[in-house]
Amino acid sequence: MTDIHLNRRKALQGLLAISAAGAIAACGNNSAETVEAKALGETEFASFKGFFSNEEMALLTALSDTIIPATDTPGAVDAGVPETLQSLATQWGDENYRRYWRQGVQNLSRELPGFPSASKEQQLEALGAYDAKVFAGQVEDGFYRDMKRTISSAYYMSEPGATQELAYEAVPGEWRGCVPLSDYPKTWAT
Amino acid sequence: MVDFDVIVVGSGMSGGWVAKELAERGFKVGVIERGRDTQPAKDYTDFVDPWDTPNLDWTSDKDRENYPIQSEVYAFNQNTKQYWVKDNVHPYETPEGQDYKWRRGYHKGGRSIMWGRQSYRFSEIDFEANKKEGVGIDWPVRYADIKPWYDYVEKFAGISGSMEGLEILPDGIFQPAHDLTCAEVEFKNKVEATFPGRKVIPGRAANLTEPTEEQIALGRGKCQARSLCERGCSYGAYFSSVAATLPAAERTGNMTLIPDTAVHSVIHDAETGRLTGVNTFNMKTNEASTLTARVIFLNAGTIPTSMILLNSATSDHPNGMANSSGQLGRNLMDHVAGARGYGIMPGFQDKYHYGRRPNGFYIPRFRNHTESGEGYLRGYGYQGRIFRGNWRGSARGAGVGAAFKKQNRTPGPWVMGMVAFAEILPDERNRVTLHASKTDKWGFPIPVIDQKHRENEVKLIKQATRDTRAMLEAAGLVDIDTDNPDEIAAENMSPPGNGIHEMGTARMGRDPQTSVLNKWNQSWDVPNLFITDGSFMTSAGCQNPSLGYMAFSARAADHAAKLMKDGVI
Repeated sequence: MTDIHLNRRKALQGLLAISAAGAIAACGNNSAETVEAKALGETEFASFKGFFSNEEMALLTALSDTIIPATDTPGAVDAGVPETLQSLATQWGDENYRRYWRQGVQNLSRELPGFPSASKEQQLEALGAYDAKVFAGQVEDGFYRDMKRTISSAYYMSEPGATQELAYEAVPGEWRGCVPLSDYPKTWAT
Repeated sequence: MVDFDVIVVGSGMSGGWVAKELAERGFKVGVIERGRDTQPAKDYTDFVDPWDTPNLDWTSDKDRENYPIQSEVYAFNQNTKQYWVKDNVHPYETPEGQDYKWRRGYHKGGRSIMWGRQSYRFSEIDFEANKKEGVGIDWPVRYADIKPWYDYVEKFAGISGSMEGLEILPDGIFQPAHDLTCAEVEFKNKVEATFPGRKVIPGRAANLTEPTEEQIALGRGKCQARSLCERGCSYGAYFSSVAATLPAAERTGNMTLIPDTAVHSVIHDAETGRLTGVNTFNMKTNEASTLTARVIFLNAGTIPTSMILLNSATSDHPNGMANSSGQLGRNLMDHVAGARGYGIMPGFQDKYHYGRRPNGFYIPRFRNHTESGEGYLRGYGYQGRIFRGNWRGSARGAGVGAAFKKQNRTPGPWVMGMVAFAEILPDERNRVTLHASKTDKWGFPIPVIDQKHRENEVKLIKQATRDTRAMLEAAGLVDIDTDNPDEIAAENMSPPGNGIHEMGTARMGRDPQTSVLNKWNQSWDVPNLFITDGSFMTSAGCQNPSLGYMAFSARAADHAAKLMKDGVI
């Protein structure tokens, strides 16, 4: 099978709401040298409450807030997305995952200098331009795509994301296969 | 004095039925379960919301380490991993260069908790096929023998489905079917118009859409359309032995469940030629013991049932108990999943769906039936669905800010996914044996599972892949993705076991020289031994098999009860 073939399948599977966890978890570079991974990971890790430093968290918070801002519903920061990113790196991920995120965040801080302290308008403009370049294939940044998916998952699986931004029915009670969209205009969270 | 009238080894899909039927007929039944006593209040996770699910429900590296095989299953996640065995504690081997995916759970209820609930009858075409084609051996029964038992188990279990009048997939006693979605109706209309021999019908699933009084009396309720079934259902709305058969057995006062206890072997009395009991091993205390009974039912699951009988070899029965035919452990079958197809159904932008359907559509077999099959035997059925995409799809796209939120709040296109389940032919070379030296931590020999896809399976999946594409094209889907049929080979197909329908290693037949069981699921060699898990299957069909296990279990239990009352066993 060709790569295009595989990518399209991945995209379609994503649309089918199959968890992207496998794909994201596989993104760590397995060929990484352990020494480097350690340098990037454990030593700094020990000196903070979580894996990401305050500076890294500031950038991740600003990125989360720009990707999913508060509107008429809560945004990613209100929904605790930065804390979820910290928790994933601290408790869930392995060295590869942490290394991948640290390198990715460091790269983004170079691509988007001064991002955390910029105004909301500047953030939206800068990240919008970068996002467009990545998705147009002008910039190769697989980490950015993964980070954005992770931020999205953390948000839409959060209580505000699922119940206020989207529509969530824990117990629908019945199934109806064809209803007017006007009666249920928001995407189901699950 | 024996401990029980009947010992049932295994509390899952089929064991629960045997326990119910015999307890209801007044026999004292001991159900031996190697795993824990499932406690719905503690084990079921069906009220965990997404935000309370750890780590975005991602499988961790530790999970992959503990569950290298089980963690690949679609139904393995952070809310279900308590139901899957830790592979590093329950090892098995395959011959060099071969793969076998053994997906399983050890607890009261077994895989009846995590199963896919698709419930289809075999037809006369399936029961006749081996004989007509000279494959394997003939089934010792025909549809007319089993039909009343399908009726019987469907009434009790509760199957939702539609009456279709198809010869290949007999109708049953159904509760109301789950609606097709608007896009699925379109797919159905176009496929059926283009291919008059094919039907697209609502899946038949063991979910209660209109519970009966009998079901309500057991504490079971209507399906709430949550589609979290594999977590266990607090409403008891889908069939599992924990929700249905075991409570029915329990309320008779005649059933005793013995959890955390594995059966190592059966005990044979050379003088009478009968079994007297089973050798057990407590999984927690490592204490060995025996339990005795007049009649033994093995419902441990196809592979463990073979292991128990192979472990029971004596000097008089060097190849294992109930194995004078030499067929025990042979003819291991499954269904091959493959020929996946994906695509987008244009249109219906003003429509959506409400609730979450724990079911899909089904396309009954048409090859070598309403349509020819060139160069291969049998056929395949398809399962699929067309739902609107959600944020998981749209969030993979470009955009940031309020516009990105808006695109994720808007339902996506109607996305189709479908997959074929193809019949695997019985083949004596596909078999389970005991490892010559390796044991698990309890000292039980580990199984060696040797199954390969053969020429017929490969041809079926190639043809199914062509058919998938043709149907998606005929239905007007766009962005279609299927495999390239020319690249399909045994080695790159979904490995054996992955259909989670393993069966066939103690087949029933008409001749004791070529089969392990007679037409009543009773051992030819040992008259007080019955096997009604998937082991008895003489051929696999392409239908999901659990409903058949239920029907044959109820029928065999009824027969055993008669023999016991008549003093024959």
